[in-house]
Amino acid sequence: MSSMSMPRSMWGVDSRVIVYAAIGAALYGVLAFFSFVIPGSNNVSIRPAFAIVPFFGYAFGPVVGLFTGLVGNAIADQISGYGLLTAWNWSIANGLVGLIAGVLAAGSMAKMGGKIVGPAIVAAVATAVGLLFVFSDIVVFGNDFNTALTGSYLWALVPDLIASVILVPVLVLAWEPLKESMGR
Amino acid sequence: MISTPRYLGRGSWLGSRDPRIPIVVGVLAAATVIQIWDIRIVAVLFALAQVYYRTARIPFRLVRRQWAFAIAFVSILVLVNTILTGGEIGNFDQSDLHPLFYLPLIGTPISAESLSYGATQLLRFLTFITIGFPVAYAIAPGDLGPALARLRIPEKFAFGVDLTYRFVPSLASDLRETIDAQRVRGYEWDRGKGGPVARIRRTVPLIVPLTMNAIVGAEDTIDAMDLRGFGTGPRTWLRELRFDRSDRGVLVLALTIFVAITVASVLGLTKLWVFPPLLTLAAGRL
Repeated sequence: MSSMSMPRSMWGVDSRVIVYAAIGAALYGVLAFFSFVIPGSNNVSIRPAFAIVPFFGYAFGPVVGLFTGLVGNAIADQISGYGLLTAWNWSIANGLVGLIAGVLAAGSMAKMGGKIVGPAIVAAVATAVGLLFVFSDIVVFGNDFNTALTGSYLWALVPDLIASVILVPVLVLAWEPLKESMGR
Repeated sequence: MISTPRYLGRGSWLGSRDPRIPIVVGVLAAATVIQIWDIRIVAVLFALAQVYYRTARIPFRLVRRQWAFAIAFVSILVLVNTILTGGEIGNFDQSDLHPLFYLPLIGTPISAESLSYGATQLLRFLTFITIGFPVAYAIAPGDLGPALARLRIPEKFAFGVDLTYRFVPSLASDLRETIDAQRVRGYEWDRGKGGPVARIRRTVPLIVPLTMNAIVGAEDTIDAMDLRGFGTGPRTWLRELRFDRSDRGVLVLALTIFVAITVASVLGLTKLWVFPPLLTLAAGRL
């Protein structure tokens, strides 16, 4: 079969990539239920589910990461009632986080600091860089630069960074032995 | 507690349309609304969006929570953005603004322009959301894949979206079981003391087993797809889609509005409109 016998490239799309991508997106959508406001902040809420995006990028490659963030965020927005297309540029930003995590995981950055620090660094860099796309709020919602920086980018970056840096290494630690037992 | 996408538009006029219609109308509406800052035009589009939404006959009691969340969320967003702008509104020069009062402590000027801007922003968001609801609730889950594929979206991506919607209900059910299983062990994710880090760590006993089980379970789906030769040739879909006269009418209307607004935007006719009574009020303060 195609996914079993052919050598797999980072950008290839086979049945394995599609199923893991769909699982990642569905998990992100379902787990978005868990969120809480940081006490004392200006309604800044942490969504632990965001960690699913860099984790799937890290573990299964950039295509899976891109799809998980893009479609998962749209579904999470839809389930919560915000609407599938209302903030489509934020879905792209989430997709970029997964894509970058996948690319970085294949490089030397992921190997720094073992199975805890490496994934945490990859998740942090991917989150910080991928979320830069939310500056498109300037075009989409007519915000000025200061609002896009403080009201969009930093608003999303701080909680997502906290969630990613804590949860991605935990997920990687749980996934590594499983991966070996599954022969991946 | 945990919601999943549901098909609530069954039997309605919009639910009987080609499933590509809500998707294309949603994209066109998004491209149209972002060009407008004149609340009078946005109000007309919002009214049209309401008519369109009502043709999906989505029972309000089933989406009341989603509407409440959406309205609360966008209201907070608009309020915070208005405060964060520090009184700056789009291309307006600060000296051209008509301040009504200043916020205590932070001193942000609230002007006739910023209130008009906030109201327009709010109505724009509500128009987006009104058009977006039928995409989720008036397309039969099984129609999403063929609809995306027929819109020339790469078939593997279309199949991925289709598969995602199929996984959501089963994963939501798995999550409920995991929560119940952990509760039996005395675990409550939303109780206990500690800051954000402690609260994130408390989600680990739910997120990790759910994610790992989902990944292991995915192997069966992968094997099933491989055994059926997935990806070895062009995919066909059982569901055949064809536009009828009503579908074409809706498409032509949405496209006409998009073109008209784009032309108006290029001609500078969609800029921010400031409420005259607010300008009068601001003038009265001077």
